[in-house]
Amino acid sequence: MVEIIEEKKGKDGRPIFVIKKSDLLEFMRQKKQEGFDHLSLITGVDRKDYMEVVYHLYSFSKNQYIVVKVTTDNLTVPSLISLWKSADWEEREQYDMLGIRFEGHPDLKRMFLPESWVGHPLRKDYDLNNVQYINMDEYGEDYATFDPGDGW
Amino acid sequence: MAFLKTGETGILTTTIDKALEWGRSNSLWPLTFGLACCAIEMMAVQGSHFDISRFGSEIFRNSPRQSDLMIVSGTVTKKMAPRLKRLYDEMPYPKYVIAMGVCVIQGGPYVKGYSVVLGVDRVVPVDVFVPGCPPTPDALTYGIMTLQKKIRGETDR
Repeated sequence: MVEIIEEKKGKDGRPIFVIKKSDLLEFMRQKKQEGFDHLSLITGVDRKDYMEVVYHLYSFSKNQYIVVKVTTDNLTVPSLISLWKSADWEEREQYDMLGIRFEGHPDLKRMFLPESWVGHPLRKDYDLNNVQYINMDEYGEDYATFDPGDGW
Repeated sequence: MAFLKTGETGILTTTIDKALEWGRSNSLWPLTFGLACCAIEMMAVQGSHFDISRFGSEIFRNSPRQSDLMIVSGTVTKKMAPRLKRLYDEMPYPKYVIAMGVCVIQGGPYVKGYSVVLGVDRVVPVDVFVPGCPPTPDALTYGIMTLQKKIRGETDR
């Protein structure tokens, strides 16, 4: 049984469901059966002492959006890739920018930044003064350095 | 044509350098290299209304090996910077760079971001800076004419 912690309306009229992390897969499976067949967006919010993951679902038959929010303390959230294939890159992007690990994701690596980049840049505690640079090795692979090096 | 001396006999004398500079400045072929919204204005400059063909920049080449001028139009991200450097290295000498737009000059609205190069002159040498967000086609045309003057040695710096 899925327990809905809070249900409210957003400013744009979309219903927002705040649910527990352990109920996420079951709740999403129910919503998919109700006709919400399109995972429109996954995004994350850094609330400083916890992370929030926001899912936007769309139903083509009902022409309707809903928003689902879960919070996590230990930076892990179950992956939705078993329900929607498009969750693959969306979850990789959130892993890249905020460091949220999606459990069950088959290929969780950085989306935009090179693997050697230190830190997750959209976090509130990311240090912008510690500037990193990107260089390209002879095979065309990117790597991040703190030293500007040759190309810069 | 201040450097040319015409005689009454129809003979025209100049130096090799001056002739080469005159030729280079009037056949600047830019590289097709649009990075962001400034590229739209660059395309407008190339189109028939503003038409930089009038100044000899006849055609945008798709290969860096066939072009003299790189118009860096749009935000240069840190991921793009090694590619930009590589394209610049593939261009034959003499080669020139115009930094178009405020993002390219010093970072612009992304100056506090983590991902944007704060000035393309950290990566490649720049000849002419064209400020604006984005610069109008007139501004870019003026920038190209300034570069032509620079090639001909008519500007102070």
